[in-house]
Amino acid sequence: MTRVRAQAALWIGRLITLLLRLVGRRGTSLPGLIASRVSPDLLFRLLSQLELCVVVTGTNGKTTTSALLYGMLSDDEYPWLTNRGGANLLQGLLGALLPYADRRGRLLVRRAVLEVDEATLPLVTNRYHPTLIVVTNVVRDQLDRYGEVDGALAMLRSGLQYPGAILLTNADDPLAASLGWERELTYYYGMDECPADEEPRNEVRDGAFCLICGRELQYERYIYGQLGYYSCFSGHFGRPAPHFGGKTDGSSELIIRERVSDHRQEEFMVDAGAPGLYNDYNVLAAAATARLLGRSPRQIQVGAEHYEAPPGRMQMFPGSPERILALIKNPTGANSVLRTLESDERDKAVCFAINDADADGRDVSWLWDIDLERFVLAARCQHYICAGTRALDMAVRLAYAGVDRQRIQISEELPEVLTMTSELDVPVYVLSTYTALYPLGEQLQEAAR
Amino acid sequence: MTDRTVTLAHLFPELLNLYADQGNISVLRHRMHARGWTLSVTPVKLGSRVDFGSVDMVLLGGGSDREQQLVGRELAIYREDFATAIEAGLPVLAVCGGYQLLGEYYELQSGERIPGLGLLAVTTRAGKGRLIGNIAIEWVSQNGESDGKTIVGFENHAGRTFHDYAPLGRVLKGHGNNGRDHHEGLQYKGVVGTYIHGPLLPKNPHLADHLLAKALAFKGCHEPLDALDDALEWRAHRSVLGMLGVKSGEIRA
Ligand SMILES: [Zn+2]
Repeated sequence: MTRVRAQAALWIGRLITLLLRLVGRRGTSLPGLIASRVSPDLLFRLLSQLELCVVVTGTNGKTTTSALLYGMLSDDEYPWLTNRGGANLLQGLLGALLPYADRRGRLLVRRAVLEVDEATLPLVTNRYHPTLIVVTNVVRDQLDRYGEVDGALAMLRSGLQYPGAILLTNADDPLAASLGWERELTYYYGMDECPADEEPRNEVRDGAFCLICGRELQYERYIYGQLGYYSCFSGHFGRPAPHFGGKTDGSSELIIRERVSDHRQEEFMVDAGAPGLYNDYNVLAAAATARLLGRSPRQIQVGAEHYEAPPGRMQMFPGSPERILALIKNPTGANSVLRTLESDERDKAVCFAINDADADGRDVSWLWDIDLERFVLAARCQHYICAGTRALDMAVRLAYAGVDRQRIQISEELPEVLTMTSELDVPVYVLSTYTALYPLGEQLQEAAR
Repeated sequence: MTDRTVTLAHLFPELLNLYADQGNISVLRHRMHARGWTLSVTPVKLGSRVDFGSVDMVLLGGGSDREQQLVGRELAIYREDFATAIEAGLPVLAVCGGYQLLGEYYELQSGERIPGLGLLAVTTRAGKGRLIGNIAIEWVSQNGESDGKTIVGFENHAGRTFHDYAPLGRVLKGHGNNGRDHHEGLQYKGVVGTYIHGPLLPKNPHLADHLLAKALAFKGCHEPLDALDDALEWRAHRSVLGMLGVKSGEIRA
């Protein structure tokens, strides 16, 4: 019975994909959604045919890391498939595999980079065992604010329990690193050298407690958010020595030092043209994974050169004015984006598009955990624009961060972002929550033509 | 008066920081500053002593269950002095977990009770499902009178809280203390306890000023607070009322 259903789901999924293609639409979640309704089994029938599968999970940076990694791994000889653009729930995974299945349900491409939501990971690994799992970081996200990071950690831990699971995780994040405790087949990446904060910023640090004794962690060095060189005062745990160390001076060039074993030490450079310290972590995670899978530094660099930011991850829209679109979805991510803006020394305008639909997080408290006070002082930003259903909350936030109230433009309508910025002669950064991101991306694309 | 400083003790900020308490502090600081006062914030880490005699106001935020259990264990040292200060009229703002913590205990689904500060006769039990969403209440004064002012924000709590004190207000849209009796929050002398965050104060400047006036009075200063330009705050306030379909009626700062 399940076999019949899986076959039916396959045909339905293929049919819808075909029909959508005929009407010129691609990349929607519809085929995966419907096929997974018909048969929850189909996904696992397809997954089980994969020869190599890397899962990328964690709170921030999944989409970018997956896109980078896909570029570093896939070539004409050995093509890979991936779920582009953050469709990271079960139906999204199925939607990514469907186009590569023939009518008998045989996968034609048998290597996959899959971005998987933290809560979905255990559902996947329950029935299918990926080759390698990358955990980017575990930070607070307003979507599950009440259960917070404890819940996310528990889900990741249970998702990593299957025998033979290889884990690559972030040494600089105490919560992500804790996943590797007393565990074989664990590799770490972290920053050896980077321009770090001289003093701790006014940020919420979720990982700042020892998971064993509950005492505050000591930081020898802060990098951003809860990331840094930390240790428990009582010696319960500290930052593990990374197998892949990154070195950056703030440009997009990243030197990677590999220390997987004594007889395998190497140093190579990767430049994906993606600015920002948080992107350095994404590049480092992707390159480390590619190395673990046997790609050469040369192949990795070639892949990185062809990297294009996924929709809404510092996506450039040329024109007058130039507009740059970036997703913000939690304080740590937003602070990272703001730091990248600060490092752009030009005068600029910033538009915050804040919605409060389910996918954005209905609670907008997180806006107050973003370190806007420093940004307002440091960023050479003359124009502030607030849009989205929570434009007014953002405007109040900016006012208390020190922006002159008279200088904040407000419109709850997203299309007005274009008209409100069309006369500006400085670059416009549009920082958007999830549900505003795609409509804005389309509008900006339209305007850039 | 020469000393124009109001001292706010922010209790256990390393643990109770789940709902953007920085926002509440930022609002209090700016509103004091605009009136020629300085707000001095003293973070009190769990385990370190508080001299309640030198404090004009206390803020208790919310934390996750894990963090609240950590707090619960080490509270006994604060009980006596804190209770005396509250009886003397010390203004306290306690939000979410902090509100629960003022009470006697938080009873988990398992029946286990996490002790609170035991300052007020308030008890909380974990219910089935969380009470989540935007909320609007009508602010009712401690003597039961209302002049139609509203308070808006967001609530997100598994705890159902019960007490016989005056509530902060009557629920217009949302759940409130326990989803049953249409009461939200608590007022007792200088204490305001509530599940409303968002954070609480930015979109409710009248409540911020109410707390600040209490802090000044507690200090022995009875000068009126000058009105500020709160047009933006009230627009944001009204937009939440609009989302909830509550008629804004008469809102005065
Ligand atoms: Zn410890």
